[in-house]
Formats: sequence, structure tokens, C-alpha cells
Amino acid sequence: MKKILAIALALLMVLSLVACNNSNSDNQGDNNQGGGEQAADLAGTYDVTIWAPEAAVELTKKQVADFNSSNEYGITFNVTVEPVSEAEAAGNVVTDVSAAGDLFFFAQDQLSVIVKAGCLTKLGQGAAATVKELNAEGAVLAAQSGSDLYAYPLTADNGYFMYYDKSVIPEDHVDSLEDILADCETAGKLFSMETNTSAWYIAAWFFGTGCHSNWDFDEQGNAIALDDDFNSENGVIAAKGMLKLLNSPANLSNSGVDAFSNGAAVVVSGTWAYNDALAILGENLGATDLPSFTVDGKSYHLGSYNGCKLLGLKPQEDTKKAAALNQLALYLTNEKCQLERFNELAWGPSNTNAQADPAVQANPGLAALLAQSPYSVPQPNIPNAWWDIAKVIADDVKAAGNDDAAIKAALDKYIASAQGCVTAPAE
Amino acid sequence: MNNEKRHMGLKTLNRASNTVIYILLVIISVIWLLPFVFIVFQSFRVESTWQVGYVIPQQWGLQNYINLWNSDFKRWYLNTFIIALASAVLVTVIQLCMSYTLSRFRFKMRGPLMRFMLILGMFPGMLTMIILYRVLADLGLTQANAVPGLILVGVASSGMGYYVSKGFFDTIPKSLDEAARVDGATRFQVLYKIILPLAKPIVIYTILTAFMGPWGDFVFARYVAMGTSAGYNVAVGMYSWLTNDQINSWYTTFCAGGVIVALPVTILFMCLQKYYVEGVTGGAVKG
Amino acid sequence: MKRYSDMEYLRLSKWNKFVYKLVSFLVSIPLGIGHFFVKIWKGIKEFGGKVAAECKDIWTTFVTGDWKTKLSFLVMGFGNLAHGQILRGVMFLLFEVVFIFYMVTTGGYWLSKLDNLGDKGPESVYNAVLDTNTTVFNDNSFKILLYGVLTIFFIIAFIYTWRANVKQNKLINQILKSGKKLKSGKDDLKSLVDDQFHKTLLALPMVGILVFTVMPIVFMVLVAFTNYDGSHNGYSNALFTWVGLKNFGTMFSWTANTSAGLQSYSATFGEILTWTLIWAFFATFTNYFLGMCVAMMINKKGIHLKKMWRTILVMTVAIPQFISLMYVSKMFAQNGLLNQMLMNHGWIKQPLPFWTDPTWARITVIIINIWVGIPYLMLITTGILMNIPADLYESAKIDGANAWQQYRKITLPYMLFITGPYLLTSFTGNMNNFNVIYLLTGGAPTNAAASGAAGSVGYTDLLITWLFKITTGGESLYYLASVVGIMVFVVVALISLVVYNVLPSIKNEEDFQ
Repeated sequence: MKKILAIALALLMVLSLVACNNSNSDNQGDNNQGGGEQAADLAGTYDVTIWAPEAAVELTKKQVADFNSSNEYGITFNVTVEPVSEAEAAGNVVTDVSAAGDLFFFAQDQLSVIVKAGCLTKLGQGAAATVKELNAEGAVLAAQSGSDLYAYPLTADNGYFMYYDKSVIPEDHVDSLEDILADCETAGKLFSMETNTSAWYIAAWFFGTGCHSNWDFDEQGNAIALDDDFNSENGVIAAKGMLKLLNSPANLSNSGVDAFSNGAAVVVSGTWAYNDALAILGENLGATDLPSFTVDGKSYHLGSYNGCKLLGLKPQEDTKKAAALNQLALYLTNEKCQLERFNELAWGPSNTNAQADPAVQANPGLAALLAQSPYSVPQPNIPNAWWDIAKVIADDVKAAGNDDAAIKAALDKYIASAQGCVTAPAE
Repeated sequence: MNNEKRHMGLKTLNRASNTVIYILLVIISVIWLLPFVFIVFQSFRVESTWQVGYVIPQQWGLQNYINLWNSDFKRWYLNTFIIALASAVLVTVIQLCMSYTLSRFRFKMRGPLMRFMLILGMFPGMLTMIILYRVLADLGLTQANAVPGLILVGVASSGMGYYVSKGFFDTIPKSLDEAARVDGATRFQVLYKIILPLAKPIVIYTILTAFMGPWGDFVFARYVAMGTSAGYNVAVGMYSWLTNDQINSWYTTFCAGGVIVALPVTILFMCLQKYYVEGVTGGAVKG
Repeated sequence: MKRYSDMEYLRLSKWNKFVYKLVSFLVSIPLGIGHFFVKIWKGIKEFGGKVAAECKDIWTTFVTGDWKTKLSFLVMGFGNLAHGQILRGVMFLLFEVVFIFYMVTTGGYWLSKLDNLGDKGPESVYNAVLDTNTTVFNDNSFKILLYGVLTIFFIIAFIYTWRANVKQNKLINQILKSGKKLKSGKDDLKSLVDDQFHKTLLALPMVGILVFTVMPIVFMVLVAFTNYDGSHNGYSNALFTWVGLKNFGTMFSWTANTSAGLQSYSATFGEILTWTLIWAFFATFTNYFLGMCVAMMINKKGIHLKKMWRTILVMTVAIPQFISLMYVSKMFAQNGLLNQMLMNHGWIKQPLPFWTDPTWARITVIIINIWVGIPYLMLITTGILMNIPADLYESAKIDGANAWQQYRKITLPYMLFITGPYLLTSFTGNMNNFNVIYLLTGGAPTNAAASGAAGSVGYTDLLITWLFKITTGGESLYYLASVVGIMVFVVVALISLVVYNVLPSIKNEEDFQ
């Protein structure tokens, strides 16, 4: 009578046998760590997958082909490049590292999450030294957790500055927030900066008055300490500066340059938006560093975060493949490849030689970023939760009104929440 | 005279209320259709690729459709179509087996089984996705092989959705079965020769909903594809176009994609509308 | 409270009727819950009795059986084979062989690891010559738990099959004693399309449900008792293991995170649950009544082009939700079509905060959900409205009832009676309406006080989207998500139980046939 059940179970079993066989073969990687392997032993053909953002897919394919034909080790990579955006890559790697691309592009704010999940290979000593030597200091910092390097810097252009409409804002007004806001209000135009919706932009105000927010991470990727003085006197001054924008009818919390076609005269955004902005404003487009604001007669220049894109290597079981991939990662982040990426995609390089290239220096977007750089803070590792906690500072400050004590209370509340992201030292 | 007056009053009142209803219906129709009209217009806009504050394009063109053709959209579309087709067949078979049995047979485990499935249905399915993903990954049915993986999971768990068609089967008189059984027909013959022809509306309804489901499958499909474009379905692929860093260059292409996805499904739906309505009214409420 | 008989009830005033109904409903809630626990207890007792009876039966079968019977306790299906029932015997034997093979090769391994979900985590190895770090992956807690659960499923199935095999011997002896013929393999096959047809039909769907629904749910529930999260992912960083009821303690402690300046999980849970219930209430009833209104308008005598109106609405059902919802979501965005149009016309200076202000966002999702839901409700109610006997209205008209009175006295009670079960499923469905919330707002705007402890929490987040965010955020607190999942189950089950016990029309399914 129970035949059906029996068939069903047999089916189940076959299914699981297949599954289990599969799982047992997982551990058959080449664990040969015997000494005596020389660099030249890396010769061979390797199948690798790279996750790159859609725009960079073709270029990456070409660069790997260049590597295949030019490297001194006799390494050949059979490469598949999948279009995976930087934001998505981090999430996917953490969810299932075995399915992830061997090399993947990601934004630096995800570093701690991926390190914490054990999904990045720590760089060897030689590679770490090379990376440190060739790249800008901020970019190296971005790839570190604790004192170890976990990724290869790709760009150092993930910062913001000001795009503006020259027909609305005269050139001699661009240094003063008050003047710009007055121009916008007179012309019925908007000042578009993501002050209400993004902690990344909110931080600009606080850095402008000399506040800092620094996180310490351990080698496992846990945030172990926060040193943040956004609730200091300077923090209150920053909040008052922010209020000037928040209380202005010109305030628009948005970072897309499409706002230019819909009433914005100023958009605070980054290099990635340059071409779109140019398409809308044409010769009226101006790009420069952020303005200063004045509180109690003293002027403060808006700061900013400057971040990087990184290239990560997922944990490998095969030593030779890991070493070969290390060579490829170093190649993909070297001066030549970074310049190629600058030429084709307008990604600003992190390599110091590439940064000094005249073409890079002449790019209006990067020039504006450069002009902003004296005021910018290299973006450190930040726990994910912070972005949500700090996001509401603007709304809280606005609700507090122009009352110093209430502003201080709102900032104290923020500090208390942010301290909650600190993990107690491991048991 | 008085009576007539009252009659006239009712008539004018009726006419007035009908006019109001007509106005309301027109407003409702406009509200319901406008977004779709917008999508169609925007898909032909070529002067810019981001969101703008007007509906009628300043420059008309097919650039967005050409972009679509040059992207991986073709592959995603094919994937979705295969999944939809396979589910339409397999899900229908499974659900009909399930609902017919639970509607027609009285066996010992029937009550407990139905109660068990009712309880199962109260667990949020969201969490089980991560587990199903791992199972599929072990079977090698993720990433580039996402299509068979999605079909497998979709079909295997479809038995839970038997309510609507069971409600419909419940409305077919049992005396029909009994008469046939008395005439010596086996259970299988009863199903095949008597019930199925009567159940045409619900069969078509099930096929239709099973076919339409995969076009909107998004969260689990994204898991299963795990960053491999070849395994995306349209929803997963097109979702990435509307993320904050992509929307300014892909918004109008998204609209074009929306039109291409919606067109065949809508046409199919319109043709089979009659059955869908019968299925919904006959089954959905009673389940 | 005083219970009224039917006659007494009818004589009450309207207000008293309402009060009476409400009070009896409220009273029925604790009663229903109590009833439920009594039922569970009875079920357990019954189950225990059954197990004892089974054991006794197995014992008697063994003692009274011949050597063939006794041998088939060890070699499954032997009794069937010995009596010429080849098909049955082979099936039993095959099952036993496969089971033993599985247990020896892999099942035993998973079971042995199940007690602490693995001993050895991954190790990083530095190769000085190649200057490279590699990782050696050892145990994988996730797989141990997954295949451990699967193995336990097999063992249960095996015990069940073994029991069936023992029963078979008893049956054979009985049949032989009574002088009848045993069923041949051919008979068995034939019965599969006849007497036993339901088993044939259910086999495939049930296997699917078992593997792809039941097993994952069991797994999910078990995760609530482990420390599985982003820092213990069981594979690439650290293994996870059993922690008992600790997670439930964390979830329900009012002070869990407050010392660190964060809101406690229980407060967050309470906030989200409240909004989830508010949302489910409005989403269900706005759709229900407005859908009914639209249906009645279209159905009204004297309205022409009925089919066209219906088609226009139904068309929106056909378009996949992710397109329509994502499009509408962008349409209402700060720089979306709607705001830009209003600003271009100079009607507003600042974009309206559809998705950035908590109250605006909550109201907007409810309104857009009306847009999504009305066509479907319109279809459902149309069918039922047309089934209301016309003479009810005729006699009401003769009594001089106006349209509103007709609606209150005839249409509404009739509709509520028929659609009671639908309203219940629709309410619980809305509680878990992931698509609408996720595609429209993704939970935004952010609720900073609640975020941080458990991923990003927003003001429009339902429990279900919160749960999803917990598992995908950087921290990936799977164990917490699992606790939330169990809580969602409890809430849905409680609501269903209460409503089930109060609504008249769900109680007897046979009524509909």
C-alpha cells in the first residue's frame, strides 16, 4: 500500500545523494603547500570569474587579455566577466562566497562587512608593500582593516563637489553658501544636496567645522571603537550652517544631476555625473569645490568624504591560483590599467603616478574634486548601520530649530546611537 | 398627477446618479491607465534618459528599444519565457492533482493534511529562501543554471496554492462522479472524461496565473542568479536599472523593457480574460 | 455576560445588538485560545495512546507471526516476497537498501556532527614562498544542519515504512486465514488509478511540499536556536552552534540594546508589528469596500459599456507588479514625474515628501495599494453581487427602502457572509505583502532609532520586509530573522484562530458543496 511513499522517499534519497556527493567534492582543492615553488611555477591556465560593474565589463576583458599576453610568469586566465554592480557584489559575496567572482569590484564602505564575513584574502607582504608604495595614502587606508591590507585600490574618486549653473550663479558667488542660496531663491531655483537623506553628505557640514568621526576596526572586521565629536561646540556650529540650507526654500535633498533639468541651479554630486550634467547644461556647467558658510561671523569651508573603489580577491583554496590572481589584481590596479579606466570611464585613479598624469589633471570633474581635496577626509571603514543612524541628523536638527541646547541634544542622541554600533571586544 | 411627478422625480434622480457614475468611472479609468500610458510615452523619449517633468517626448525615437536589444535583456526575456512556459504546464498539473483530490476524495489523512498545509502557509516564506538557495546551489542549479532551479522550486512548492481551484471543484456537483462510478468508470476515467471538461475555466485560470507569476518573480530569482547575468529573469535584470546609480542612464530603457514585458502578457490575458474572471469568482472566494 | 436566545436577540435595539455582538466576540477570544490549548493537549494525549497501541501491535505481530514474518522485521518486504507479492516486496527491500547505503555513506556523518554543528572552522594559511594567503575550509555548519535535518526526515520515513512493512505481514496472515486471494502487483497498479487514485495524484505534489516547503521551514525554526549570523556564517569565518533559547531572550528583553544607546529589539518589533497591523487593516478594507463600490457602479442598471469599464481595470492586473510598482514608486520620488510636473507648473516650490516623510509615505503606500488591489476586488465582488437574489431587492423596494438602506440591509451582510474567509486570507496576506512595500519604498524612510541594532529599519517596513532586510544587511542576523519569522507565524495563527472561531461561514466547508 505504501508504494507511493516508497517511491517518494527513493526520489528524496537520490536527490540528497546527488547533493551530498557534490558537497564532498568541495574540499578537493589543491592544498599543496610544499615549499620550493618558485614564482615561475605559476605558469598554467586558470578559470576565473570577475565581477565588475556593467560599464567596466568590456574594458576588464581587454585588460585581462593584455595581462595574458604580457605577463612574465606564463599565466593564462580563462576569464568570465560578469556585470555585477559594486553595491550588489558585496551582498552577494557575503551571502555565498563560493558562488562569488574570484575578483570583484566593490565600494570601500562594504570592506568591513566582507572582511567580517571572512570573504576577502589578506594581501601577502610583497603585494601589500607594492600597493602601499604605488597608491595615494587615503586609498591605502580605505583598503585596510586593522593594520592589514585586504583589497587593491582601484579609484580614489568617490567624493563629491559642486556642479552649478553658470547662468544662475555668478562665478564670484560660488565660494559662499549664503550668496548661492540667495541667488537660487531670487531665481526660484533649487540647491540640490542630499542633506536630508544621506549621511555621506551630512558629514560634509561637520568636517567643515573641524569635527571628526573615526572608527577602529579589528582584523576580523568588527568595529571596536568610535571617536566622534559631532556633538561638540563645533558640531553645533556645523548644524547651524546646515540649518541655513535646510530652512531655505531652495533646499532639495537629491544628488542626481537630472535635477538640473528640473529647477536646480546647484547639484552636489561626484565625477560619475559629469557627462550627464554636461549634457543638460552644456557650456553653462560649472564644477568647483564646495562653498563656505558663515556662522557668528566666522567662515567654514564645507568638508567632504573622499572614498575609493576596491578590487577584492575572494578566499582561494589553491595556492597557485591565489598567487596568480594576486598578480592579476596587481596588474588590474596598476598605473596603466587605471589610466585606461580614466580614459574610457572617467574613473579617477588612486595610483599616484596616474593621478599626476596631465590628462587626469585637466578633467574638469577631477579638477573640482582636487580643489575640494584640501577639505576632504579620506573615508575610513564605517559599519553599515552608521549610515542609517547618521542619515536623520538633518531632520533632527531641523526639528530642534535654532535653539543651541536642542541642537546639542539631537547630536547627543546621534552619538549615543552611533556608539551602539561598537561591538564589545570578542569574548 | 402626484404619482407621475414622483415617477418623473425618480427618473431624473436616476439619470443624475448615472451621470455621476459615468464621471467617476471615467476618472477611475484615467487614473488606472495613466501610469501605463506614461510608460509607453517615456519609452519613446530619446532626448534624455532620466526622469523628466513632462510626458510627451520632445523627440520621438526607438533608441531605448535599440538599447534594450543591445543589452542582456534578450537573454533575460528568454529565461523568463522558458520559466513561465514550464510553470504553466507543471504548476497546473500539480495544482489540479492537489485540488481535485482534496475536493473529491474523502480519505483518512485528508483533514490533517489540509490543516497541516494551512499551518505551513502561515510561516513567512521569505526566510526559507536562503535555505532553498543553498539546496539549489548544491544541486548545481544556481547562477547560470538558474532557470531549471527556479522552475524546480516554483513547481515543487506550488501544491500549497490549491485553494482557488479546490473552491471551483467544490462547485461541480458530486452526483456526476457518483453516477459515473455506478456505471463502472474508474476514478481516473471520472477525472479525465467528466470533471476535466467541466473544469475548463479553472484549468485555463491556473495556466494563466502560473504563466504570469514568473514575470514578476523577483526576490528569490535574484538570490538564485547570484550575480550571473545569464541566469537573470526580466524582473531581476530590470531592477538593477532603477537603482540610484543607474537610473539616470537607464530609466527610459526600463520603460521600453516594461512595454516589451507587459505586451504579450497583457494580450494573452485579454484573450483569456473570461476564464480568469470565472476562475476568480468561482474559486477564489470559496477556497 | 448574559447569553440571549435567538428570539431575545432579535428584539434588542440596534445599539444593544451591536454591543452584544462585540462583547461576545471579545469573550470568544480567550475562549478560543483556551480551546486551542485544550485541543493541543488532547492531540498529544491521543498521539501518545496511538504510539503505545502501535508498539503493542508490532509486538503481537512479532510474537504470533511465523518465521517469514519474523525475518521481515529485519529484511523489509520479505513477507511480501515470500507470498508472491513481488512488486511490494521489491519496493520495500529497495527502500531498505537505499536507506542503509545512504546512512553508511553520508547520513551517519551528518548526524554525528549535528550535536554542535561542526568542530573546526576555516583556517588561513600563509605560503611564504608565493607570499600568498589561502583558506582551508573545514566544517560547514549550514550543510551539517541542512543535511542533518534531511537525514532525520529519512529516518522518520524509514521508521514509518518499516512499520508499514510489519503491518503488511499482519494483513497477509489475516487475508490468508480468511481464504481470500492476495493482491498481485497488477492489482496494485490498477488500484492506483482507481481506489487509491488519490495517492497517485498526491504523491508528486506532496514530495515537492515536503522537500521545498516543510524541510526549509523546519530548518528555519531550528536556526532560531543557533547563533547563525554574519559573523558566524558557518563556513568562511566562524562556525555557528546551538544556543538554546537565548535569541528569544534577546528579542523580548526590553533592555537588550538600550545600554549601547540603541532601541531594544522588542520595542522595534512592537513598532513594526503595530504598523503591520494598521497597514493590513487599511489595505484589506479600503480595497474591499472601494472595490465593491466600483463593482456596484459598473453593475448598476442603466450603465452602458459594462464590459469596457471592466476590461480597463482588469488590464492592470495583467501587467507584472514589478513593472507597475517600480514605475509608480519612481513616479512619486523626489525627482519623479509627479513632483517635477507639479513644480514645472509652479504649483509647488518644494517636492512633496511622498517617500521621505513617515506619515506621507505610509499614506501613499496605502493609496497606491488601492490602485493595485481594486481591479481584483472588483472582479471578485462582481460575481457575488450578481448572485444576490434579485427578489430580495424587489421586496425591499416595495417596502420603500432607499439605495443606502438596501445596501446596508441586503448587500453588505450577504457580501460579508460569503467573503468572510476571503477577508481573513486577504488580511494575513496583506500582513505579508512583501512586493508592494519592497518595490514601492523598500521600507523608507529610515527609522534611525530602530536601525543599527537590527539592520536598516524604515517607517513603512512590515515584519516581512524587516525580516528580509535582517537577512540581507551587513550583519545578516539570521537567528533574529528566524525568531521574527516564528513571531509572524504566531501572530498570523492567533488572528486566524480567533476569526475562524467567530466567523460563521468558514466553519463548515461542506456547506459549499
